[in-house]
Amino acid sequence: MADEAIATATAAGDGATSNPLREGLSADRITSPCSAVFFGASGDLFKRMLLPAVYSMRLNGTLPADFALVGFARTAYDDDGFRTYCKKQLDLFMPPESKPQGALWDDFARRISYITADFNDTRHFVDLKNRLAQNDRDFGTSGNHLFYLSTPPPVFPEIIKHLKKAGLEQDPEGWTRIVVEKPFGTDLESARTLQRAIEAVFPENEIYRIDHYLGKEPVQDIIALRFANTIFEPIWNRNYIQNVQITSAESLGVEERGGYYDHAGALRDMIQNHVINLLALVAMEAPISADADDIRNEKYKVLSAVAVPSHADVWTMSARGQYGPGTIDGRAVKGYRGEDDVAPDSNTETFAAAKVFIENWRWAGVPFYLRSGKRLPRKVSEIAVTFKPIPHRFYGDSTDRIEPNVLVIKIEPDEGISMRFEAKVPGPKEHIRSVYMDFSYGTGFGVQSPPAYERLIGDAIQGDQTLFTRWDAVERAWEIVTPLLEVWQNTKDFAFPNYAAGSQGPEGAKKLFSDWRHL
Amino acid sequence: MSLDIASVQDQLLASYRDRGCDANVSTMTIAVFFENPAIGELARDRIRMLASKHPSRVMVLDGSAPETVHRVDGCDWIELGVRESGPEMLRAAVASLRLADAPVVLLWAAPGLGNDPRFDSLAQDAQTIVYNSSLLDSGRDALRELVSYVGNHPQLPIADIAYLRLAPWQECVAIFFDGKAVAELRDLEHIEIACGSDPEALYMLGWLASRLAWTPSAADAFVNSTGKRVAFSIDRQGEPRRILRIALSSSQSTFVAEVDREQATIHLSVTGSSEHGARYRAIENPGIPALLERAILWGQDDRLFAAALEAAGKILNEGER
Repeated sequence: MADEAIATATAAGDGATSNPLREGLSADRITSPCSAVFFGASGDLFKRMLLPAVYSMRLNGTLPADFALVGFARTAYDDDGFRTYCKKQLDLFMPPESKPQGALWDDFARRISYITADFNDTRHFVDLKNRLAQNDRDFGTSGNHLFYLSTPPPVFPEIIKHLKKAGLEQDPEGWTRIVVEKPFGTDLESARTLQRAIEAVFPENEIYRIDHYLGKEPVQDIIALRFANTIFEPIWNRNYIQNVQITSAESLGVEERGGYYDHAGALRDMIQNHVINLLALVAMEAPISADADDIRNEKYKVLSAVAVPSHADVWTMSARGQYGPGTIDGRAVKGYRGEDDVAPDSNTETFAAAKVFIENWRWAGVPFYLRSGKRLPRKVSEIAVTFKPIPHRFYGDSTDRIEPNVLVIKIEPDEGISMRFEAKVPGPKEHIRSVYMDFSYGTGFGVQSPPAYERLIGDAIQGDQTLFTRWDAVERAWEIVTPLLEVWQNTKDFAFPNYAAGSQGPEGAKKLFSDWRHL
Repeated sequence: MSLDIASVQDQLLASYRDRGCDANVSTMTIAVFFENPAIGELARDRIRMLASKHPSRVMVLDGSAPETVHRVDGCDWIELGVRESGPEMLRAAVASLRLADAPVVLLWAAPGLGNDPRFDSLAQDAQTIVYNSSLLDSGRDALRELVSYVGNHPQLPIADIAYLRLAPWQECVAIFFDGKAVAELRDLEHIEIACGSDPEALYMLGWLASRLAWTPSAADAFVNSTGKRVAFSIDRQGEPRRILRIALSSSQSTFVAEVDREQATIHLSVTGSSEHGARYRAIENPGIPALLERAILWGQDDRLFAAALEAAGKILNEGER
């Protein structure tokens, strides 16, 4: 049997999957060798998130043994200079026990190289091709190439075009995959244009549209909660659920991202991707398997059932806001229009809320409230499922309010699940009070969730697209928000700023839904 | 002398009430048995770490302490002296004090398996049993006992920490044969393992033998499926339970994985026709809590382990001839 396996592997020459010693070894180790190319490697995302994620994978053994990293960006470095830059960033952004040092760092460093590049010059992509071939020879990366686009989005089409021109869209020896950072387009048309540019070069099964929210453990746990338990699914429908509130709130302002944010706004920055992805996970039907396409089929199906509001409905189905000066954590903070790189008369929303309905058998008539904003009282991302009130009241003191049950999936911070239910207060009277049953990942499993980027980069190397968004879902998400975008863009809100930093958001959102969960 | 189980149950109730132990996540009941107090202290320490990640009811069955010792620490930590308790009494204690519905994990941290009726008794109600054949210096004997016991109880849901400890080294060896070098697997001629204790080396050999269809043919050799001899040697050096070096030689190449001088990384090198640039992997000497976790989550029905154990047993038998 073993000999047959060896003979087969030899004939196929395909390595890892036919290696009989691989069978049964822990699946969290990535065996597929590769070179990962980071476009925009001198930028903020690379140094804060991507590089630490990759190095952490090296430390915990999940990175392939045969691996190389190529930085590709405009800032001028030679290989050694970029290695020094990477070490400096890792010293800054890795925890103390994981700082780069010793033989492991030396080995990692020699696998790092850099190309100072103009994204519009094919010659630099030919240099990249040569470098990848060199990596194949020096580090056994086997013609497997992961291209990670972490540049500003306007550059994506240029990079893709030149990858094709340089003959890098596929390698006869191995696989090629492209990771595309969000935002995927700035509206429906630009997303379609970007998609056309990508699909002209790469097939869908090689495109990994990243939304790092999907790599967060509690987001993945939504699937476990719904489909690894029997108690929730029977009541997960219009018969028992009153409404669903999906919130992604931040107490931070735009920080150093004013230039980007003033052209984006809350709807593009959060609702179109993170929040709608959460909506899909919480509302989709049970997939027939855990296969990436089975899950993504269900996500698309439920999004395609979301009713797109008409332009006329936008004002009754949504609310927008922009923060003015206020107080957060006892500290005075300036208003949005006073932030760096923000126009003093900006019409950009820093708060967006929408009510949507899913027109299918399961969810007909159940409102889904989507909310995201900056400079709200605290950072919180959660999905709150409010169940219908009891049908008939016969118990409890008449002065007691009987609250509906609420199941809250807490994504950050305090990742976990909370259930509100009613209980009798001990004593001779029939008083009712709400109590909470809490599960916290921190205390429940005593571990911190692994960083999302590690999970997602690992999945991309392994070819697992489950946690990446397929084009049909991206396009549908743009379709859902397009009427809001168009109406908001074309209508200046003279009431801006209309909520104080640190408040619960604009009054208009309260009118949209009087029972918003308090932040 | 009998155990006062009712008193422990009262203490548990009082503990929940007085300490305000909230409803919490509970994943299992862990029962640990030992006779050596020093091993007991180590076991307590490791289980505390494990239970902090997987909230559990813990029953410390202290074979060195008298039955007068019975107390509840915290909300779910039970200490029981069981020095004179017989097999049925131990089993009854676990049955009475375990969490209903949650699985029972038995950590057996004492010498002897088949010749100790207390193990037999406790094993009957355990969904997972964790053993450590290299816990004591008598590693070969402990492994032999395990082979024998599992031979008589093939369905036993048992995992051996000594085998689980091999995982990073299995990965290193597997890396050598990803790609075209896989062809050299059928041409291997010699295996050398430098290790601080025997069970890990025997498991590594057993794993290779079971994966590659080698049959033990002498105290220091296998024959492969084409009848060719594959010699092996075990060099005892370094700290117990730590592998220092594994070298595999074929007629064309030599594959070496070894710990570097600073004991911080494993250096992988290949010379000969499959020559490959140096590779390094972070040393993963997973602590006992991490190994216990693996044993509980994945260890109890591991057919690769079963095959490696069986092959290790045959290697031991050849050594006795």
